[in-house]
Amino acid sequence: MEDKMIKHVLWTLLISCVVSTSALAQGPEIVFATDATWPPMEFVDANKDIVGYSIDYMNAAGKEAGFTPVFKAVAWDGIFAGLDANKYDAICSSVSITEERKKVMDFSEPYFKVRQALIVSSDSTAKSLDDLKGMKVGSQISTTGTFAVKKVEGVISKTYDEVGLAIEDLYNGRIEAVVCDDPVAANYALANEKYKAKLKIAAVIESGDVEYYGIALKKGNAKVLDLVNKGIQAVKAKGLDKEFQKKWIGK
Amino acid sequence: MAEKPVIVEIDVGDGAAIPRTEDKGLVSAWWLSFIGAIVCLLALLIFKPDPYVRLIKFLPDGIIVTFQVTISSIALAIVIGLFTGLGRISQNRFINLAASTYVEVVRGIPLLVQLFYIYYALGRFVRVPDMAAAVIAMSVCYGAYMGEVFRAGIKSIDYGQTEASLSLGFNKAQTMFYVILPQAWRTILPPVGNEFIALLKDTSLVSILAVADLLRRGREFASESFLYFETYTMVAIIYLIITLILSKLVSIMEERLSRHERR
Repeated sequence: MEDKMIKHVLWTLLISCVVSTSALAQGPEIVFATDATWPPMEFVDANKDIVGYSIDYMNAAGKEAGFTPVFKAVAWDGIFAGLDANKYDAICSSVSITEERKKVMDFSEPYFKVRQALIVSSDSTAKSLDDLKGMKVGSQISTTGTFAVKKVEGVISKTYDEVGLAIEDLYNGRIEAVVCDDPVAANYALANEKYKAKLKIAAVIESGDVEYYGIALKKGNAKVLDLVNKGIQAVKAKGLDKEFQKKWIGK
Repeated sequence: MAEKPVIVEIDVGDGAAIPRTEDKGLVSAWWLSFIGAIVCLLALLIFKPDPYVRLIKFLPDGIIVTFQVTISSIALAIVIGLFTGLGRISQNRFINLAASTYVEVVRGIPLLVQLFYIYYALGRFVRVPDMAAAVIAMSVCYGAYMGEVFRAGIKSIDYGQTEASLSLGFNKAQTMFYVILPQAWRTILPPVGNEFIALLKDTSLVSILAVADLLRRGREFASESFLYFETYTMVAIIYLIITLILSKLVSIMEERLSRHERR
């Protein structure tokens, strides 16, 4: 156990060294935790680098506001616990801003707008979650996708550690549908070579309100919050976010 | 001078310590842990009912799933283990090689990887329901360990027994099932009990397969309420209480068996 911890620490040190030397921006380092299993927002590419829309966004924000973002790969399940335990300064991992989360953490200004999308196999006739009563619907543990599934009475919720595993289970026919953020759904069901023939997006769930991604911070961390907000505002003002949208998401 | 009978003790697995039957003192490690766990549980429920009572209402279906996986896996693992153990001592070269290879391969792959493999990699070809996949993976893994337990247990019975039985006209299978195994069982039971408890703890790994066991239910609760400390404290106490009760049961069973033997 001890051994594992030391190894883990060494690895994260090594990774953060590599990442920090490659970052160009100057100024204080802000360590962002990211669950890099959420393409196209944040994921690990063939070179084992953490890339994606959010990563580009934060790097640009850092350049504008004068901080050096360092990305640390953290599993989603427990990512908020790590924030609470001061393992990193902030979370940049497609965290939707919700009322429940606001009670225990602070959020930056929103930087991306999402809805929940319902992915089903291409021969399915389901048009909404209501059509899936008594059936299994997957989502990544404690994401807003899970919350949407649990809201519908009678649908059996199955939670996965990573959304990719839920998609794979859907592909293999163990579950009827997957609910996740729409850019991620589009990435799997429309763009992914392996999945696009067999999966489709049945619906975008209008659960009442639109969701926004924000950078999550420990409550009261005003210094970092200001820097991050400044960066996000600058990126928006310069229209850089549209570039990233084109680069990673299309349309 | 009569030679002292050699008591064969085999120790396989990393299960909870089975309490020693001669340990009758009130202050044993078992009692201390058990009373401690129960007191902790009650104290939390009484003095901090807000998250803990909510938690204890949230977790039971997870406990049931944990038990279902454990019981089905152990039953299947004992069957697999019996045949593997027999295969390992078989004089048929082919059967012997097959059983040994199985043990070698399974023991060389981490259980977590086996779980991923059976669920996701083989899921491509055969659609195994999640629960079944979990049970198959657990029992394939533990079947190999069990095979070693059976092999050691069978080998612990003096060969003279086999010779005597064969000379009385039993065939090989009859010798094994009527003479050797009933005697070997006493040696086999403690390590089987150990494996049982180790398996129960290892079922926490199936939570990665989206099987809603105790740990997964806990993780769901924690990540939605952000009450990590409270949730994992509760989950740990529940696991501890279950394994302590089971280890006591195994030790009682063992005692019964040896008392029966002495008569």
